[in-house]
Amino acid sequence: MTTSIAAERDAGTPSPSGGAPAPRADRLRRRTGAWRPLALGAGAVASAIAIVVAVGIGTAGITPGDVWRAIVLAIFGGTLHGDFAQAYSIVTELRLPRTLLAFGAGAALSVAGALMQGLLRNPLVSPFTLGVSPAAAFGAALAITLAGAQTVPAWVVILSALGMALAVSAFVLSLATAKKMAVATLLLLGIAVTQLFEALTSALQFAANENTLQAIVRWTFGSVNDATWSDVQVVWVVLVLALPLVLWFAKDLNAIAFAGDDAAKSLGVNVGALRVGLIVVAVLLASVVVSFCGVIGFVGLVGPHIARLVIGADHRYLLPFSVLTGGLLLLLADTVGRTVLAPAVIPVGIVVAFIGAPIFINLILTRKTALR
Amino acid sequence: MSLQIDDVRFSYGKHLVLDGVSLEVAEGTFCALLGPNGSGKSTLTKVVAGVHRPASGRVSFGGVDVLGLGRRSHARLIGYVPQSGEVPFDLTVREAVLLGRTPHFGIGPGRSDWAKVDEAIALLGLGELEDRSLSELSGGQAQRALVARALAQDTRVLLLDEPTSALDLRYQIETLQLVRQITRSHGITALIAIHDLNHAGRFCDQAVLLHRGRIQRAGTPQEAFDEAALAAIYGLDVTVEEREGYVEVRPVVREIEYQI
Repeated sequence: MTTSIAAERDAGTPSPSGGAPAPRADRLRRRTGAWRPLALGAGAVASAIAIVVAVGIGTAGITPGDVWRAIVLAIFGGTLHGDFAQAYSIVTELRLPRTLLAFGAGAALSVAGALMQGLLRNPLVSPFTLGVSPAAAFGAALAITLAGAQTVPAWVVILSALGMALAVSAFVLSLATAKKMAVATLLLLGIAVTQLFEALTSALQFAANENTLQAIVRWTFGSVNDATWSDVQVVWVVLVLALPLVLWFAKDLNAIAFAGDDAAKSLGVNVGALRVGLIVVAVLLASVVVSFCGVIGFVGLVGPHIARLVIGADHRYLLPFSVLTGGLLLLLADTVGRTVLAPAVIPVGIVVAFIGAPIFINLILTRKTALR
Repeated sequence: MSLQIDDVRFSYGKHLVLDGVSLEVAEGTFCALLGPNGSGKSTLTKVVAGVHRPASGRVSFGGVDVLGLGRRSHARLIGYVPQSGEVPFDLTVREAVLLGRTPHFGIGPGRSDWAKVDEAIALLGLGELEDRSLSELSGGQAQRALVARALAQDTRVLLLDEPTSALDLRYQIETLQLVRQITRSHGITALIAIHDLNHAGRFCDQAVLLHRGRIQRAGTPQEAFDEAALAAIYGLDVTVEEREGYVEVRPVVREIEYQI
C-alpha cells in the first residue's frame, strides 16, 4: 500500500514514459490539429451559404432560389426572362455588392486586427491603434469641407481618406523605426496621432456649416449603403493579395507573439523587418476599408478574439479564421441593420457593436479557460 | 567542436557592456557565466544567441563563424532559453514547444517536427501537461516548457539566461540537473548565466566570472572561485570551502552595530 501512495505522490514529477502506443496514435490527429483545417473548411462553406441567404433577405421578396439563379445567370450568362428581370437587377446591382462589401470589409478589418494583436503582443490592440481611422476621417472631412457647397464625387473623398490614413501610418512607422520599433513607442505614437486627428476633425466640424457638418458626421458612421462593384473589387483584391502573404509569415508571427522579440530572434526570425512589413499590410487593409466604408469599429478588435476562442491562438489557423469571423459578423450586422427598421437602413458601423458585444460576452462567459 | 568567443565587444548606446570577452567552451561542457548585476553575463548569452549583434569580435563553433550564418542556420545551431516571461495569448504546452521547430519547417510542421516535439516533452516530463494552457502552469513547469522548446530546436549549443532566478529551490536544482544531464547524454554545449555561485559550483564544469564586461577569472569552479577575486568583484568578503568535492562560497556577514 505504501508504495502505491508514494507512486501517487510522485505523479507530478517528471516521468519520461509516454502512454500506451495505440491511444497515442489515436490522439495524434487531434493533437496535431487535424480538426482545424476541417473547422476552416466548414467555416468557409457556412460563410458562402450566409452570403447567399443574406442576399435573399429584404423587402423585395426574393427567395434564395432567385439569388442562386441570378448568380448563375450573371456568371455563366443566359437569357433573362421578363418577370425575373427586376429580381435579377436587385440581386446583382444592390444586394450582392452590398453583402460582399460588408463581408470583405469585416474580413479585412478582422485579419488586420489579428495581425496587429500578434505583432504588438497585445490583445487589446485593433487595426485602428496606430491612428488609421481618425486620420482617414480627417482626410474625408477635409475633402468634404474644401468642396464646400458643391457636391464632392465619392472617389475624391475616398482618395483623400486613403491618402491621409496611409501618410499618417507611414509617419508613425518611420518614427517608431527610429526608436527600434519598440511596442510601447508604437502604442504611444498611435494614441498621440489619434488624439491629434480627432481634434483636427472636430475643428473642421466646429467651423463647418450645417450641410457640411452633416456630411462629415454621416461619413464617420461607417456603412455599406452605397456599395458598388468597384468598391467590392478593391476591398476583395487587397484582401485576397494580403492573405497568402500573411499566411506565409504566420509561423514567424507565432514566434514573435508567443515567445517575445528576443526568443523570436534566437528562433531565426527577422523581428524588426517582419514587424514593419506586417504592420504595413494591416494598415493597408484597414485604410482601404475605412476609406470606402467609413469608420467601422469593433470588428477589428473582436473578430480575432472570436476566432481565437474557437480555433486557438496559432496564427496559421487564426488568420484565415479571423477572415471568416469578421466577415460573418459584419454581414450579420448589416443584414440586421437593413431589416430591423425597414425601410430605414441603420449604418453597419452602429449595428455591429449591438450584434457583436452580446456574442463576444457570451463566448467569454461560456469558455472554460479565461480569455487572455 | 568547441564554442569559441573571441574578443567580443558590445555596447548599449554609449554604455560599454562587453569589453573584449574571449572564452572557449569545449563540446559537451556545462559552463556558468557568473558576476554581479550588470556585469554583462546576460548580454553575452544574447550575443551568442544572435539576439544582439556585437560591435566587434568573433563567435565560432567548430571553426564555423556563427555570426556570419543566416538567421535560420544560426537558429538550427544555437538555442536560447530566456527568462520565463508572460505570454499574452492562450497557448498549450505542446504549441509552445512546437515554436522551437520554427527554424526547421516551412509553412507547417511535418512528422519529424512533431517527433522532436514529443521527444522534448517526454524528456522534460511534460507529457501529463502537454494539452494544458501555459497560463495554468506553475513557474517551474513554465520554465520546463521553455527548456523543452529549446531542446525541440535540436541545436548543438544551448544558452540559458538566468533560468532559475524565478524558481523555488527544488525547481532550481531540477532545471540545473536536467541541463547537466543533457550536456552529458546529447553532447550539447551549454552556457548559463546564473547568479548562484554554489549552484554553479555544484553543477557546472566550467565557471567564468565577469565584472564590468571583462572576464576576471575562468576555469573549473575550484580554479575560478578565489576568495580575493570574488571579494573584489562582489565588493563583499567571502570564504571559499571545499565540501564533498564541490566548492562552496559563503559571504562573511558582519553584524551592523547601530549607535543610537
